[in-house]
Amino acid sequence: MSQRMLAGAGAAVLAITAHIAAAHAQDAYVIGVTGALTGPSSGTNGPPVEALRLYVDRLNAAGGINGKKIQLNILDDQAEPSKAATNAKRLLTQDNVSLLILSSLSSTYAPVVAESKRANVPLMFMGAVCPKEVYPPAQALQFCTTAYAGGYDSRATLDFIKGAAAGPVKLGLVAMAIPLSRGEIDYAEERAKTMGMSTVDKEVIPPPTADYTPFATKLKDADANWVFSWAPWVTQVKTFEALRRLAWQDNYIGWSHIEAEGELARLKDPKLYVIGANSFFQDRLPVHMEIADAVKKASVRYPAEQMTEGWIGGLVLEAALKKAGWPVDAGKVRTALEGVSVDTKGLRGGPLEWSKENHFRARQYYRFYRWDEAKAAIVQAKDWTAYEVR
Amino acid sequence: MSELGGQDADASPLTSDLWHLSSESVQLVVNIIVLAAIYALLACGYVLIYRVSRVMNMAHGELSMLGAYLLFATATLLAHHPIAALIVAVLMSIAVGVLVYVVLMRRMTGEMVLAAILTTIAIGILLRGVIVLVWSASEQHPLQALGFTNPSLPVFGGARISTCAALIVVMTALVYGSLFAFLRFGRWGVRMRAAGQNPLLAAQRGINLHAIYALAWSLSTLTGSIAGMLIALDSGLDQSMVVIGLKAFAPALVGGLDSLLGALCGALIVGSSEVLAIHYVDPLLSDVVPFVVLIAMLTVRPWGLFGTREELDRV
Repeated sequence: MSQRMLAGAGAAVLAITAHIAAAHAQDAYVIGVTGALTGPSSGTNGPPVEALRLYVDRLNAAGGINGKKIQLNILDDQAEPSKAATNAKRLLTQDNVSLLILSSLSSTYAPVVAESKRANVPLMFMGAVCPKEVYPPAQALQFCTTAYAGGYDSRATLDFIKGAAAGPVKLGLVAMAIPLSRGEIDYAEERAKTMGMSTVDKEVIPPPTADYTPFATKLKDADANWVFSWAPWVTQVKTFEALRRLAWQDNYIGWSHIEAEGELARLKDPKLYVIGANSFFQDRLPVHMEIADAVKKASVRYPAEQMTEGWIGGLVLEAALKKAGWPVDAGKVRTALEGVSVDTKGLRGGPLEWSKENHFRARQYYRFYRWDEAKAAIVQAKDWTAYEVR
Repeated sequence: MSELGGQDADASPLTSDLWHLSSESVQLVVNIIVLAAIYALLACGYVLIYRVSRVMNMAHGELSMLGAYLLFATATLLAHHPIAALIVAVLMSIAVGVLVYVVLMRRMTGEMVLAAILTTIAIGILLRGVIVLVWSASEQHPLQALGFTNPSLPVFGGARISTCAALIVVMTALVYGSLFAFLRFGRWGVRMRAAGQNPLLAAQRGINLHAIYALAWSLSTLTGSIAGMLIALDSGLDQSMVVIGLKAFAPALVGGLDSLLGALCGALIVGSSEVLAIHYVDPLLSDVVPFVVLIAMLTVRPWGLFGTREELDRV
């Protein structure tokens, strides 16, 4: 067979394969995901993507939605803005996804948002901190299922500290050197002033850092008696551990990322608090058992308690696609997302409800957990408290 | 003085301020020493390979991280035998270094240096992917797996250091002392130096260059793995260790890529600049300072503090 004939045959095979793939894709809901599956924040962003994949696999195994399967096209951006932009471009222009999902560091937001706007495709933040654009009045294309969000988290945390503190609060603040973390800690600093708390030190820590002790030293030297950190878990926990190694004995509160439940049990420190919008698996609700069972059957590498964010993302995706019907396009998905109302089955303090103006939720619920030495278990430091999202 | 070496409650405000200042200063010194030790332990791996083969191993951070994950693996498998887990992890690290050379880098011998460097970059990318596939992206805790704790130890003047951080400092001293002695007095150490100075002449004198290069790779991977293991024991294990390995490249260059003494001094310079910048200027500078120091050195003395001047042409 001549080389020319071989090349022609190869090209034909490729063309047929591409056509079959395209035809298959057209017969499925095509959803794009760009996430930090590897790299510095992969511990926080990897599990939600894995949980979403698990949820979608279960849906597809049960027949899909409206009789159609969901095709998840997942790409790794390693939390690098340039890679996230490339992924977004590819998913939007080549894969023609009708919804783009982002689970990565906030430093990737700007380029991905720009691509989503260019393509007029809705963008859903899942397991990645909610940007202010999803609050009322929400930007048309941006939606967020993630538990944590700027502004409200700090309000709730400072309210908790004020209530729990025995005397005057000397507040230390810790952020990671990424846009939203810094912004939130700056907001917390301003808000603390209005609540009569003095901020004695603020550390903005670049990711990653060989040794957190120099930063912790400054917090300790400033004599903070409460430290609030709103940053990826790695920054929160390593700063906390560095403080303890310096024999700092006071209170530390951080956001309850997906790693929090396991880490509270590992660290066993009664003065380490976490604030979160997701319930812990130790509450043993039916939905927790359902997730744990699914994780076990699929032999997923991550612990079940790290699956909540992605599972909620799956619940919302299912609800939206059911509503959007078939055939679907980005516009129909966007419209469906605007009317989403999802029962989170106890994973959150209440339902997740979106409207045309509010792509965050109508109410944000918070719960606080800590380790109880006497019970040798994680306990609720404060039960669900609701904040109206306006 | 109180039990913990702190100040009495009855001390005057001036004495209290002086004590506080002294305690702060000592803590700063401790922090500098620990960070410099981390960088020095990682930097010597770059120097060992470059000195012998003129290759910059851009996978050093990933190899260090792999060593830490190997420790996590052995600690999990040999849960009730922590010492055995440590020994097996160390031996596996040496084996990894030899394997990398024999399977991949040996083929680059005699090729363009750039090709060899690109190969190390590819090795690094491969390792990062494999690590996530095998162990996932979640943070791991080899310390807990080994059943050890990491208590904080009091140091002179009210400062404190964690046990693992103290171990990092001790191991750095041991590693450098051993390497200096080995290269100076050991038969294979002298051969390594000879191969580094003039590989052609060394080969003609009967020195097995492949054996020397394999030895360099195994020592480099071993020292990097020790650094990775100790960092992981002190503060947990995650993917960010790769970037720490990359940051340690700056001290190696500052000191001179072919000088172990230079790596040690470079680590001290970079470590102290970083800690002082965090404390007195802005914590955000910690990422930038190593490379600012590097640029300053390259401008003034491109071959580094103790590097060989002729190396400039090769770099």
